[in-house]
Amino acid sequence: MMKEDAISKQAFSFAADLRRFTQIIFSRICVSSAFHLRLKKTIFILWLLFGTSLAHAAKIGDLRETDWLEQAARFWSLSDPAVVNALIGSVLMGVCCGLLGAFIVVRKLSLMGDTLSHAVMPGVALGFLWAASKNPLAIFIGATLAGLAGTWLVGAIKKTTPVKEDGALGMVLAGFYAVGICLFVMIQRSPTGNKSGIDKFLFGQAAALSTQDLWLMGIVTACALLAVALFYKELLTTSFDVGFARSSGMATGMLHSLLMSLLAFAVVISLQATGVVLVSAMLITPAATAYLLTDRMGVMLTLAALIGVGSAVLGAFLSFLGHSLPTGPFMVVGAGVAFTVAYFAGPRHGLITRWFRQASRRRRVRDENTLKALYHLAEQSNFAEESFNLGQLAAQRNESLPETEERAAALARAGFATVVQATENGLPGTHRNVQLTPSGWRRASEVVRNHRLWELYLTNAAQYAADHVHDDAERVEHILGEEIVRELEKRLNYPQLDPHGKPIPQTLQPAPAGDSAATGYRQPGS
Amino acid sequence: MSPDAAPPLEVHDLTVAYHKRPVLYGIDMVAPAGALIGVVGPNGAGKSTLIKAIMGVVPISGGWVKLFGKPFRQAVNRVGYVPQRESVDWDFPVSVFDVVMMGRYGRLGLFKRPGKADRDIVRDCLDKVKMLPYAGRQISNLSGGQQQRVFLARALAQESDLYFMDEPFAGVDAATEAAIIELLTELKARGKTILVVHHDLPTAQKYFDRILMLNMRLVAYGPTEEVFNMENLQKAYGGRLNILTEVAEREKAVAE
Amino acid sequence: MNGFIPAFDFQTVFVEPWQWDPVGTAWIVGMGFLVSAACGLVGTFLVFRRMALVGDAISHSILPGIVIAFLISGSRGVLPMMAGAVAAGLVTVALIEAIHRGSRVKPDAALGIVFSTLFALGVILLALFADKVDLDPDCVLYGEIGLMPLMQEARIGSVSLGPWPVLQMGIVFLVLVALLFLFYKQLLVTSFDPALARSLGIRASVYHYGLMFCLSVTVVSSFEAVGVILVIAMLIFPAVTGTMLTDRLPLILGLTLPLGAMYSLLGFHLALWLDTSIAGAMVVVAGALFGVAWIFSPRKGLLALALARRRIQHEAATA
Repeated sequence: MMKEDAISKQAFSFAADLRRFTQIIFSRICVSSAFHLRLKKTIFILWLLFGTSLAHAAKIGDLRETDWLEQAARFWSLSDPAVVNALIGSVLMGVCCGLLGAFIVVRKLSLMGDTLSHAVMPGVALGFLWAASKNPLAIFIGATLAGLAGTWLVGAIKKTTPVKEDGALGMVLAGFYAVGICLFVMIQRSPTGNKSGIDKFLFGQAAALSTQDLWLMGIVTACALLAVALFYKELLTTSFDVGFARSSGMATGMLHSLLMSLLAFAVVISLQATGVVLVSAMLITPAATAYLLTDRMGVMLTLAALIGVGSAVLGAFLSFLGHSLPTGPFMVVGAGVAFTVAYFAGPRHGLITRWFRQASRRRRVRDENTLKALYHLAEQSNFAEESFNLGQLAAQRNESLPETEERAAALARAGFATVVQATENGLPGTHRNVQLTPSGWRRASEVVRNHRLWELYLTNAAQYAADHVHDDAERVEHILGEEIVRELEKRLNYPQLDPHGKPIPQTLQPAPAGDSAATGYRQPGS
Repeated sequence: MSPDAAPPLEVHDLTVAYHKRPVLYGIDMVAPAGALIGVVGPNGAGKSTLIKAIMGVVPISGGWVKLFGKPFRQAVNRVGYVPQRESVDWDFPVSVFDVVMMGRYGRLGLFKRPGKADRDIVRDCLDKVKMLPYAGRQISNLSGGQQQRVFLARALAQESDLYFMDEPFAGVDAATEAAIIELLTELKARGKTILVVHHDLPTAQKYFDRILMLNMRLVAYGPTEEVFNMENLQKAYGGRLNILTEVAEREKAVAE
Repeated sequence: MNGFIPAFDFQTVFVEPWQWDPVGTAWIVGMGFLVSAACGLVGTFLVFRRMALVGDAISHSILPGIVIAFLISGSRGVLPMMAGAVAAGLVTVALIEAIHRGSRVKPDAALGIVFSTLFALGVILLALFADKVDLDPDCVLYGEIGLMPLMQEARIGSVSLGPWPVLQMGIVFLVLVALLFLFYKQLLVTSFDPALARSLGIRASVYHYGLMFCLSVTVVSSFEAVGVILVIAMLIFPAVTGTMLTDRLPLILGLTLPLGAMYSLLGFHLALWLDTSIAGAMVVVAGALFGVAWIFSPRKGLLALALARRRIQHEAATA
């Protein structure tokens, strides 16, 4: 017997239905029309993933190779029992993984999910071996036991060796997976037993779900829902603060085991739909997406389940479009896209959202600085002048004239000022003047007031030197809230003058009419 | 003997070891009702470990602990806990109200949901630490002092007779520090017993009426004026070398 | 179950392969050694930087990188593959960083999201371009180290230098050893104390990305042999087994060589005996050797720990 032959057989014999993918080594890519067709189809699928509607479907009508439109119709008409099974399975899996994933993510156990999903492999193989066929129950039991053994081992390694968590997780993940691979290959080679379908555990095929599988998924999802409903407050407390939970008498170890068991169940029921390699993504990604979208655990659980369902159904649908495409990767990419959208455009924590918020804050600070400069100009004229030309303002702000014009225009847009042509000797002059509106005056006085109160507070309470406080106050004046201003006033005993001896405008009460240096308010245009 | 005749806290010969390394050796102490006890000692002296071991948060390797004459499990509803602020993830998706509500969960037990009475208590406790206006806020939007107040409110919501606080004064503003002191005084006046892990020696003398000085073993324990002297401080802080040589000698003796 | 585990026969398992086809066997075992030793060297630094799972992430996410490189270049040449893998590796690291810096998602979740999504993308591309890309999903998962003797041979004139992948791995290994000698000090400092490194004027980020570069190159050269998931084992096991035995970094690095040789040799024979995947069996051996070190290590093993605990209790009782 030739050894090479045996060895090559060994490497090649697994997963017969994927075998056709294998090409002769060093085959060259041929840019054929078929290739173009494939490329178009991929682009279309990716484009679908990015959330476009089917309105543009006509564009790719030339893709006759796989009658995907017909497939789509077949999918959504639900006439095919395999499709119905795949849909039910996807929904159950999305709910189960989303719910448990939310706890996994907030407990920072994301990678435990990954390890667990690889650690179930030897259990799947042993369950298969035990029942001598693809019996869902046997596989379920075997996989759960293997998964729990894996999590236990991670804990044991962390506790008794200098190896850190990441190392322990990686070791268990790879070690268990290797045992699983060895057993899988041995099963493939063993003369007895029906081995069809075991390869579906690698990348998943939702359409291959049997009614028996669905029952199991239903039971597990129900268990997960029940456990989360019954133990919500315990799970919440132990996730947030283990020490406190234990001190208030919660059985934290039991709860952790409960969560790990549920997680193992969830991984096992998802195996057939997404495959071993990608189950963890269905746990982590929808939950992390929900985490970006909300600040409440209850909402996060619901959102995670919904996003899980959404990406699972989408994945099942897309993989159905093509010819024997695996399900798992499509689900995972769907969830990944959802995460990307939340990352950039989430209403509270999204990157773009935050960027917009920062830009608007910067704009406000700029406006307020201009208002303050106008107030200072008015103060310099002892509140005799009410409109100032842009040149004066530019000098006060230390800015160029075009810059100042821009600032003045911004104030005008916000309704704080009006920009008018200056009059020189009764004739329209070359300069332009800016004049504050009542609301502009109010806002300007407020800013100056905040600034001077804070300067006073720093000199009085924090004993800063009077010439040092200006810069600090400059930063703080924009963010002082109403409440803090009141508190400052109280602590400073309602002061009249700032440390430099300038009057602090009193503007929080309704503006009085007429001009008065004490109130710092002057009716414009009076 | 009525159950309350037993002291709130009794620790006998408590020993704790992490991995191979012993952290606490043979601690003995009894806390009388209404005592405000400061636990002081250098870094790594086992201050936090002591209170965690008493509450069963870390396993003990020797000795026993009794709370109100009972093991911890049976007295759990009479114990309140303020952990270190850094021990939790402040990005966690819960509101201030939710966190304080956790103080009620121990009492509720399994399967029961918090009712109106619990919500009222939570609101009262938040009001006591002046955090009621922040009840709906997500916890990451709080300052250090505000976070500490939330933890205090949660301990208050436990409605306990014996409180353990782990460095509540660490990194808080002056106003919060004053508020905590006020709260401690009030609790003491109501006959509660409080153990506070404290880092700052000068204020320890001012704040507590009893001091437990710790450096892996009990250095001194008693009324502040008796315990707070140079000799004890030297033993706890300056005498680190002594303890090390002593341990080394004992290890040698055991090896022989 | 009957006949599931073949009878053990020393002659067929250990002697015959070396008698029948010594050259082919040597290439397989040699490849195994080169993979474990190269991964072990890079992996040691990963483990010390607590980045073991970044190795996991990169080994998965190079898949779309090489598929895209294949589609663009149309060849399975070394350079496009390497370029694709390195690009994918660096993109992975950058994405993980961007996610956990730019949002409140924690690094562990960020890592899980990035690598699984990229890997899924790779599998989809692979399935769609199956007839164009000469990469088999199974090979991606298990590797085909058993095929080494069948690979095209590298030749200079008429002198055979051995199968291409083995030669490539050998070059990668030698380059890694050379880099290690050159930059050992910097790697050490940036791994243990980035702040100190900065104060010494060493740019930690340069070494960070340099290490990620080496990792990508090593992983892409190895994964054809052992598959993406078992690469992680080769990255982590030598380092952690070494840590159980000694505290000195040079020794741990040195230990990766004998450990790699043992994984490769014992794994090969175990696979022959059980008639199973060679790469899988190598990792099983690696796991078993870690288990031995875990229990019997003279200072850190479970037995030593139990003895120490008994001593403390005894001490506390007599105190």
